[in-house]
Amino acid sequence: MKKMVKIKGKTYHLNYILGLVITSLVLLIVIIGFFYTPYDPNTMNAALKNSPPSLMHPLGTDNFGRDILSRVMVGAGTTYVIAVSIVLIGAFFGTVVGALTGYFGGWLDEVIMRFNDVLTAIPSILLALVFVSIFGPGTYNIIFALGILFVPSYARVIRSEFIVLRERDFVNNAKLMGAGSLRIMFIHILPNTRNVLIPALLIGFNNAVLAEAGLSYLGLGVQPPQASLGRMLSEAQSYLLDSPWYALAPGLMIILTVLGFSLISGGMGND
Amino acid sequence: MTNYETLLSVENLSVGVSDKRKINTVIDNISFEVKKGEIIGIVGESGSGKTMTALSVIGLLPPSVKILSGKVNFHGKNLLTIEDKEFRRLRGSEISMVFQDSMTSFNPLLTIGAQVEEMLRLHSKYEKEEYKALTIEALAEVGLSKPQEIYQKYPHQLSGGMRQRAMIAMAMITRPKLVIADEPTTALDVTTQSKILGLLKKMNEKHGTSIILISHDLRVIQSICDRAIVMKDGKIVEAGPTQELFSDPENEYTKKLLAAIPVPFSKNSIMSNDIQNEIFIRNLERSGNTLKKDIPDPAEQKNRQDDILMIKNLNVFYSENGKRLLGKRSRKQVIHNMTFSVKQGETLGIVGESGSGKSTLAKAIVGLNKEIEGIININDGATEGLVSFLSKPQMVFQDPYGSLNPTKKIGWILEEPLKLQTKLKKKERLAKVNEIIREVGLSTEHLKRYPSQLSGGQRQRVAIAASLIVNPKLVILDEPVSSLDVTIQAQILRLLKDLQKKYNLTYVFISHDLNVIFQICDRVCVIYQGEIVEMKEAKELFFRPDHEYTKELLKSAMLISKNCCHI
Repeated sequence: MKKMVKIKGKTYHLNYILGLVITSLVLLIVIIGFFYTPYDPNTMNAALKNSPPSLMHPLGTDNFGRDILSRVMVGAGTTYVIAVSIVLIGAFFGTVVGALTGYFGGWLDEVIMRFNDVLTAIPSILLALVFVSIFGPGTYNIIFALGILFVPSYARVIRSEFIVLRERDFVNNAKLMGAGSLRIMFIHILPNTRNVLIPALLIGFNNAVLAEAGLSYLGLGVQPPQASLGRMLSEAQSYLLDSPWYALAPGLMIILTVLGFSLISGGMGND
Repeated sequence: MTNYETLLSVENLSVGVSDKRKINTVIDNISFEVKKGEIIGIVGESGSGKTMTALSVIGLLPPSVKILSGKVNFHGKNLLTIEDKEFRRLRGSEISMVFQDSMTSFNPLLTIGAQVEEMLRLHSKYEKEEYKALTIEALAEVGLSKPQEIYQKYPHQLSGGMRQRAMIAMAMITRPKLVIADEPTTALDVTTQSKILGLLKKMNEKHGTSIILISHDLRVIQSICDRAIVMKDGKIVEAGPTQELFSDPENEYTKKLLAAIPVPFSKNSIMSNDIQNEIFIRNLERSGNTLKKDIPDPAEQKNRQDDILMIKNLNVFYSENGKRLLGKRSRKQVIHNMTFSVKQGETLGIVGESGSGKSTLAKAIVGLNKEIEGIININDGATEGLVSFLSKPQMVFQDPYGSLNPTKKIGWILEEPLKLQTKLKKKERLAKVNEIIREVGLSTEHLKRYPSQLSGGQRQRVAIAASLIVNPKLVILDEPVSSLDVTIQAQILRLLKDLQKKYNLTYVFISHDLNVIFQICDRVCVIYQGEIVEMKEAKELFFRPDHEYTKELLKSAMLISKNCCHI
């Protein structure tokens, strides 16, 4: 059932508003984390190992006595930067590939898209593992590896839009004006793909957050002592029964992020 | 006729769209009745509420549209208060609908047979074999030859006319009491149009089905309806038996609608004065020209003689991409060995049905289709002009929704060709844009809007402006008025004529509508299956057609508008 909300005379999806609220809360925490954290996220304190939430440490401390709230604030920032970079790489190259193949078609399209199919056929986390085992673990390597793996899905989305749009008369019109292929592709056609591109970016960001968390969880992404949400989850699993608050904090952060963006992208399309 | 019992009665129906807290009424307190076995026409321009009326009868109003008051009684039941489940049963079995666009109304992934059959499955119980037999019978009944084969085909494999027939078969297969046909023939060629209307009439007579026929085209309404309702701005402005209504209209709006129908060269036509004068003047000029032949104005003579476009032995192909990587490309020839020329300042009409190659020809002339053999020679005399723009032929497309980029503002759209083809500075470009927008009858206010914020007619004006802004000598108009209401059509045609005079433009005017062609063209070229079958002065062609195909075209155009001519 669609619920609509009216704000200043405009109607929005309830989901859209909820998503905006959640996302801005999460983003606020991350932005504060860039400038201020209650404690230094990497300072250890042997006296406070695995202490439960208290007034001093609202989310408790981890196995090295580090403040979890500070670590979540910084770790979420790391995860977001990585996720945004992945999406930008994927969306940029995906858009270029999709535009070229969709607009021109022909054998180029066939060759590239079949290669694309091959990439999509293998689970991306598995491919990322292969990349990382070749190039070694580390923040930049997983950005690179996951970024490449995100190209096919964007290429596919943009390509299918271009195939439809290139037949439209406004494109013919642009040709008659004497516009070149590149101008037609990126100035005339590309803005028309925003209805699918923007939700794809949001969904892609979610997937990137999850992929980073997954890889860091496996110990292949961000290296200690740097914090990221996935890294923290991976460290927390050993203490899941004794100090559940450790896993809860980064886990909730991931859930809220993904939920917020999903609600926004879901509520956006059908205004 | 008066003895028929009432099947459907709409009483004081009001329907509104809520928008920003206030309610816009789209249907304002209308009442009408449909009797058993009657064909009733609802006519009006787009936005008049005719489709909304139909949708509220069949209960398919979009969620943002609310019924404000009134009753819709069908067989004594009020359809507005009936339960969903009950309504679902009625829909399809008792009331069914034929939509305008048969391409989008069929599911492209299912065969025609499966879709027509589903209608039957939902509303009756038979054995599996019987379903198929009944479906094939229904397909045969609507005049589809080889119904067995049609049954297996997908929507895109059929022509528009065949799809519309299949749609009628689908609507009729459950023998409903009422069929609502929303612009069923608008997307079709004129010969197909008259056949589909004939089919509706036949189904009505054979099965006693009542039909509500919705159209913006008065000629369609006149051809088969017993009674007609004229709607404007959600109100019924006039209603009555078709003959009376159209021979003796009382309401001003009805008169205006009737006047806007292009009825060329008809002695008794009550066409709007401007157009009639234009034609009158043109006739005078023409006869004058022949009289003055001995003393020709040398300048004009030269202008007239100069061929701006010369086409010689033109063959145009359409290549279908192979489905597989190494699949062979197949080439289909669309235009066969065409030769003709267009003189400076004249309007050449190109008429033919869809699939005859009209649009392909247009695309070949402007250079959008590169797979051609033969000669296309464009002599634009660009060197003479003071501001020497690269004056390639420009084109105005049929659908202004499609030809204007929806994500750009009108100002940007008009400026873009100047950016690409001229070296004008930003300021000069804007001045030119401001000039042209007023030239086509819009104001600079419109430059800040997006295409979706304009009406169809305004959009087509923008499309015309965009094509004229680079000062072309030759403009190809591909069905420029086909998607517009009749009164808007007349306005756009007048605008095109004014602009032609002012800028000494040459038009190649493509249309399937003979009446429009007749109104604006000096010479007409009839195309059938990619070949020119006849080419003559407009008047010659209409009064003395030689070719069989031309005669058939004229006949079906007249069949639809025959009643208009009696006025």
